[in-house]
Amino acid sequence: MSFDPATVAAFVDGELDDLTARRIEREATSDPALAAEIARHRALKAQLTAHYAPVIDEAVPERLRALLTTPDKVDASLAGRREAKRMRFAPVHWGAIAASLALGLALGLKPWMPPASVTEANGAMIAAGPLAEALDTQLASNQSTDAAVRIGLSFEDKAGRYCRSFESQSLNGIGCRDDGGWHLERTMQGQAGTDYRQASSGELAAAAAAMMTGDPLDAAAERQARDKGWAPR
Amino acid sequence: MRFEEELVELLPRLRRFARGLARDASDADDLCQAAIERALKSQEQWQQGTRLDSWMYRITRNLWIDDRRAAGRRGIHTPIDEAVTQVAGDGAAEVEAGALRGDVDGAMARLPDEQREVVMLVLVEGYAYREAADILEVPIGTVTSRLARGRETLMHLLGEAA
Repeated sequence: MSFDPATVAAFVDGELDDLTARRIEREATSDPALAAEIARHRALKAQLTAHYAPVIDEAVPERLRALLTTPDKVDASLAGRREAKRMRFAPVHWGAIAASLALGLALGLKPWMPPASVTEANGAMIAAGPLAEALDTQLASNQSTDAAVRIGLSFEDKAGRYCRSFESQSLNGIGCRDDGGWHLERTMQGQAGTDYRQASSGELAAAAAAMMTGDPLDAAAERQARDKGWAPR
Repeated sequence: MRFEEELVELLPRLRRFARGLARDASDADDLCQAAIERALKSQEQWQQGTRLDSWMYRITRNLWIDDRRAAGRRGIHTPIDEAVTQVAGDGAAEVEAGALRGDVDGAMARLPDEQREVVMLVLVEGYAYREAADILEVPIGTVTSRLARGRETLMHLLGEAA
């Protein structure tokens, strides 16, 4: 036999180039030892494959499927929920986002500045200007990659309001819609000048998971809710 | 397709891989559960456009290895582990050829962990050597040598004309 065992194994594993593979095939027809070696490897592979194949056809246990499908599709595991609760989010206070404001969040105090993204009403933070515009109209399923505000998830919270997570240059957060506009329920520093963008996306998703009831809206439901002005169902 | 949906589709294969590693069916599902939870938590680390299956297999395998090491530190040795030290590798030749004919679980249990994972990835899951090396984060030569030793032991224990 002119092929070493590693080459025969590689042949059976489909790892050889076509030329070498054909040479082995041809030689095996006239070399019983080589043919036997190939058969031995194939038999082992077949036996292992057959042994583990039934696992594929077993029903996936609900406890595994549930981690990925119900009731919340975004990190709905118990661990995820605990994680979300431990999150450094707190109910929003003006002071808490001073840092974000300092980073350049336009407040509309200066007429030459871009329109404000946040205003205040009765001590609550309300989205304004381009942020409110994006929350009102932009669809996560249909937004340009360079949009100033990126919409993440849309979902209904426990109070039945529609909420949407968003990311922008200066501010990331979750806004929930009621008669008075988009209340910013969660805010954190945007991705400007930070390398935490990925981490913050994950935290936003986890915070959203903790707030939502049912599944996040899919593209069709998102469009429908928008077209009805985000009025509670 | 959504991350979670892709993971759901991967579950049957992942369970098969875990079964080969952990052997016991409920241990294997515990391993899958831990891997899914880890994946959801570190979803941001997965790079869109790269293979989700390889990433999941790597998470699963690393959790399994961690668990095996932790068990080793706690001094937990199952009878299987003793059997491994007795018959794995060269020692396997001392066991009568074909002694475990038909008993794939028994034969796999006698492989050292690092051979069993390669056997599962290449011979059962059908990964190319290169892909298995990426999942295990070892050089490709390590994959082929571990695979060769695992194969010889299995063929010996299961009987060559299996």
